[in-house]
Amino acid sequence: MRHLRRWALNGAAAVALGYILMPLVFVVWLAFFRQEIPSFPPDGYSLKWFAAILDQRKFVDGFRNSLQVGVLATAIGLALGVPAALCLARRPFRLRTPVASLLLMPLIVPGVVLGTSMYVFHVELENGLDVDVLGTFYALVAGHIVIVIPWVVRLVTASLAGLDRATEEAAQNLGANPWVTFWRITVPAIRPGIVAGALFGFVTSFGNLEMSLFLVGPGRTTLPIVILQYLEWKIDPTIAAVSVVQIVLIGGAMLITDRYVKLARVV
Amino acid sequence: MTDAALARGPVVERRRGEGWTAAALITPASIFVAFCLLAPIAILFRFSLNEFVPSKKLMVEALTVANYVKFFTDPYYTTILATTVRIAVLVTAVCLVLGFPLAYVVARTQSRFKHLLIISIVLPLFVGNAVRAAGWMTVFGNKGFFNATLMGLGVIDQPLEIMFTEKAVVIGIIAVNLPFMVLSLQSVIEGIDRSVEEAAFSLGAPPATMFRRVLWPLALPGVLAGTILTFVLAMNAYATPFLLGGPLFAMMAPSAQEGFAVDMGYNPTVTNAKVPPDVQKRIGFTEEEQKRLRDLDYGYMAKNDTAFQEWWNKSFKG
Repeated sequence: MRHLRRWALNGAAAVALGYILMPLVFVVWLAFFRQEIPSFPPDGYSLKWFAAILDQRKFVDGFRNSLQVGVLATAIGLALGVPAALCLARRPFRLRTPVASLLLMPLIVPGVVLGTSMYVFHVELENGLDVDVLGTFYALVAGHIVIVIPWVVRLVTASLAGLDRATEEAAQNLGANPWVTFWRITVPAIRPGIVAGALFGFVTSFGNLEMSLFLVGPGRTTLPIVILQYLEWKIDPTIAAVSVVQIVLIGGAMLITDRYVKLARVV
Repeated sequence: MTDAALARGPVVERRRGEGWTAAALITPASIFVAFCLLAPIAILFRFSLNEFVPSKKLMVEALTVANYVKFFTDPYYTTILATTVRIAVLVTAVCLVLGFPLAYVVARTQSRFKHLLIISIVLPLFVGNAVRAAGWMTVFGNKGFFNATLMGLGVIDQPLEIMFTEKAVVIGIIAVNLPFMVLSLQSVIEGIDRSVEEAAFSLGAPPATMFRRVLWPLALPGVLAGTILTFVLAMNAYATPFLLGGPLFAMMAPSAQEGFAVDMGYNPTVTNAKVPPDVQKRIGFTEEEQKRLRDLDYGYMAKNDTAFQEWWNKSFKG
């Protein structure tokens, strides 16, 4: 009886996990089909669709754009987010709670709302300042920085919380100035948090679809948008192969992150 | 999904001059987010109080709640709102039922592979909705796995129509939201001391009673957090209804985009689409024109596919 209940519980859990993973499993399967039409059972298997990706400029361009935006947004997000996390974790100040909520807010604002409001804002800026804003690379990067910051703040704050201040005080007692203390003691100690924040920020930026839809300009679309536009048209093994590339890249980044911080604690 | 470190607050006493350092650390990020996020949302809110003059297609500065009144009274929007709420409630309920056992198993497992379990729950979240929609299209298309299997087994002889219906949308959104529910529940269940459950069992409670009187009440914060998060996400789903529901399926988020499309001269090729009569007159096909429309010839389509797509992207979208 007890065993039966265990099995029932594990079975129910397996069903839910299978449900979550099912779309990814099928997209990966489709990428290796020999025929172009996604019909089952497949006529055979082939790797040619991965080569076919390179023939379509839009995928290569989309990948490059996503990579550029992701890397730049992550770098700037770190430069802004790490100091903010230091302040939130270490310094008591009156506006601490509202500021923390502000920095984490992009996590809970739905992507469509983020996108629409930024779009309207960019139109207004463009009219008011008479410069190109809408659809520019920098406007897109700015939007992505906003969604990278909460991950950096969250993960770096988490790793600062477990850090003993005594080491830093010892360094200062031995004559190190705050700057040296920061670089030689604090940064190495919270490196896991920084790496995890950077990877999560990058992954968030790279996979972002809803917000980016409103911000990209013609000829500068990111990979998820290229995928969306293609799917609007048709589903075939080429797009599945592109999806596999995205799954592998993001999955790899998450496996690396997991070596630095336990994902269970931070997501 | 808790931020224990952020909630607890700092423990260090204040020293002289630290105020300035703190300000220097926190100000850049705060200003950036305020400028790039708060300001846009504030402007959007201000715009929502403006007046729209349909004849000129112009927004006129005003201070009116007319747009909100329209949204909550115009049958076009209320129907969409009702569909969206109905789907969001359904999705949230299913996520809770499906998610609880998985969250419990993940929270209580002693396995070495726990981190892999977590990664496989989180990975789909970060891979993005377009890729997952592609997976569902493979499963549920007319020649997809689901129909091919059922037809192969002889259960049905006509493919079931799932793609581009509400069913596909609901199935897709559940998969998108389930990880959020599982993670919210799991973080709370992990904090519940196991011995509490064992105490209930050793006092003779059957599992159902233990769940109802011990586990459920203690997990309630997680249930609430997960339910709210799932509901909000379902209300705002974009890519999933767009790709799995097709252009006629109007949940709230895509309908905004659709509004755009209608103004751009988007032609509905189906007769039962709900378009206001004045718009219909402007863009709709007459019956004569409808006769000229042809059924899809897949062979021809496949041959000229690249050219079509090029045309679609260049002349239509651009």
